[in-house]
Amino acid sequence: MTTIYNRSQAIYWLAIAPIVAIVIFVIAPVFNIFVSSLQFESLNLLRTEAIRNVVWFTTWQSLVSTAFTLVIALPLAFVTANFKFKAQRLTTSLISLPFILPSIVVGVAFLQILPNNFHRTAFALILAHTYFNFGFTSRLITARWLQIDPHLDDAARTLGASPFKLFITLTMPLLSKAITNAALIVFTLCFTSYGVVRVLGGPSRSTLETEIYFRAMQLGDVSGAMLLSALQIVIIVSLFIVTTRASRNKFKQSTKPTISRQKSLQTRKQKVIAATIISSATVFAIVPVLAIAFKSINTNSRFTTTAWRTVFTSPEITQSITKTLIYAVIAMSLATLLGLLSACSVAYSNNNFHFISGLATLPVVISAVSIGLGIIITFDTQPFDWRGAQFMLPLAHALVALPLAMRVILPVLQAIPDSLRQASSVLGASPRQTWLNIDFKIIRRAAISAAAISATVSIGEFGASSFLARRGAETLPIMISRLLSRPGDSLQSQAFALATLLAIFSLIVIFVIDSFANTKSARDSHA
Amino acid sequence: MLEIDKVSIIYDSSQLFANLSLTIKHHEIVALTGPSGSGKTTLLRCIAGLESISTGSIHLNGHDITDQPAHLRNIGMVFQDNQLFPHLTVGQNVAYSLKIKRTPKKITDNKVREVLSLVGLNHLIDRTVTNLSGGEAKRVAVARALIAEPQVLLLDEPLTGLDIELHGRLLEDLGKLLRTRGTTVLHVTHDKAEASAIADRVLDLRQLIS
Repeated sequence: MTTIYNRSQAIYWLAIAPIVAIVIFVIAPVFNIFVSSLQFESLNLLRTEAIRNVVWFTTWQSLVSTAFTLVIALPLAFVTANFKFKAQRLTTSLISLPFILPSIVVGVAFLQILPNNFHRTAFALILAHTYFNFGFTSRLITARWLQIDPHLDDAARTLGASPFKLFITLTMPLLSKAITNAALIVFTLCFTSYGVVRVLGGPSRSTLETEIYFRAMQLGDVSGAMLLSALQIVIIVSLFIVTTRASRNKFKQSTKPTISRQKSLQTRKQKVIAATIISSATVFAIVPVLAIAFKSINTNSRFTTTAWRTVFTSPEITQSITKTLIYAVIAMSLATLLGLLSACSVAYSNNNFHFISGLATLPVVISAVSIGLGIIITFDTQPFDWRGAQFMLPLAHALVALPLAMRVILPVLQAIPDSLRQASSVLGASPRQTWLNIDFKIIRRAAISAAAISATVSIGEFGASSFLARRGAETLPIMISRLLSRPGDSLQSQAFALATLLAIFSLIVIFVIDSFANTKSARDSHA
Repeated sequence: MLEIDKVSIIYDSSQLFANLSLTIKHHEIVALTGPSGSGKTTLLRCIAGLESISTGSIHLNGHDITDQPAHLRNIGMVFQDNQLFPHLTVGQNVAYSLKIKRTPKKITDNKVREVLSLVGLNHLIDRTVTNLSGGEAKRVAVARALIAEPQVLLLDEPLTGLDIELHGRLLEDLGKLLRTRGTTVLHVTHDKAEASAIADRVLDLRQLIS
């Protein structure tokens, strides 16, 4: 993209902060993991049957979870992309809730709603992973589906395509890239899932991610943990490379259609299908959350608010809430700033800084547990012994949130026509004034959404926190995990109350984000 | 023969027109003109089965097709903005309707070459449609509609947006092509000169409403 900012040297300065942060706190620790893990005796670990079983289980449960997610997400995307219906905004927000719920909350919720004989089973894990990802996947596919011009469907119909043939010969090929990308992301999230597996899997259902934590923190086998982390990174990066290459030669995506695909539900058949799909998805999204809320006020089979009173009076828990909020504010500010700088350097440069987009995506490819492990391994000697430093946890949270923050801001920035900036320039505005009055005003809602998502990621982050949180400075997910590991119904209820608090916060965030998105689209449609 | 009998269309809660009647004979080319917003395109969409009519009936060769789905009508349509399938090449776009009908590959390939040569685009058979010029894309859209051998071909402002020289050349080619093949055509345009250039009859939409 060519912009009026291309000639400005300021772009180079914009790129420095995100590059430095990612190189020092993601690439260097990961590189360190690779170098340290090349110890001959640790390689024997890969030959053990136990580790081979862990790799196999991690892979197949991720594949099955991805398949289940797509099976639920595709019909949902069909309805949301093609029809207008009552309470669409509310149901879309509710269906999106699971993805921003902290993973430990999802784990706790499924522990609650599943019968005891399903605990510690692969089925429980797959169901929780499907729950976690189906709304997000549906949104990704819906967004692409809405870009397909409905007149293309009309053309196919006049050429003799029945609804089924139209779907197979036109819709699916046009959606294939979006489905592949969504499947890749879901597979990666399931492969590197930590909180859900810790709560629902237990020792018998270990994945690579939990095995890394177990080896490093329980067995003290840091070398083995580093080797597994390296293996995980190699698998995920290889998958990304193969998938990106496979979809590189896909046709150019069509432009935004001039009319909306979404039509009112007309026939009885359409109404029944849409109502069944939407109501099932909404129930699936909210029942686990309601279950933990119910459990938080139901201790020893009687209703009581004791757990909630304890949550707000126990010094240990209130300190955890305070720390979590402070870390969230710092992580949110850092992630939004780094995301904004990364997005600006990618959008304004002539391909020179497009690699930053890839750099900023690394924390998705490299799991949070690997980042946490890398940080405590790398920064363990003076003058860089930062393992106990207060800033490490919010910084790690910010890096985990960075890919999402950047991905929220970048498309909005790239969609601004440069003619707007040129018009501003010829009216006498300097590049700085143009940025403040054009770019910033257009992207500020996206920046607020990015901040809200970053805060949610920080508040619910569990993987890196498991390594970096110090006693007395535990975040809420760590506190929930600790409370659940102790015996006693009242402690369990406190864990459920805290999980409910996290769910309420996530719900507020998703409504904030969606109300901004809807305001924007309403304005766009009036423009 | 296409017979449109006392058709009324309500669109977005307002009536576009009522009691519109029109008959097009076999092999006849009829041009329909009218001001913007008068419902010309909506009428074509109703004939093609892409929209429903409120009252009245549509018959094709004696059969009532009023409630028949679009894919069963065998009525072709060339859209104003072509609507070529972006994931398919020129050849694959043209072959689309034959592939839907599971026509053997050899027959499909021959027919595609034959139709593409009629519109002068055989050399672009493997080109992706996103790289075509406006005139080339329009020719592909016409070829794609003709290969299905529709009983009626609907042309919705097919030459809008082309420069004057290309417009004139395509109009001449299109007229020759449709006459040679004896296609029954309903051509909608706001350009009266374009309408009279290829049509046997030119009608104003407002005259058809009783």
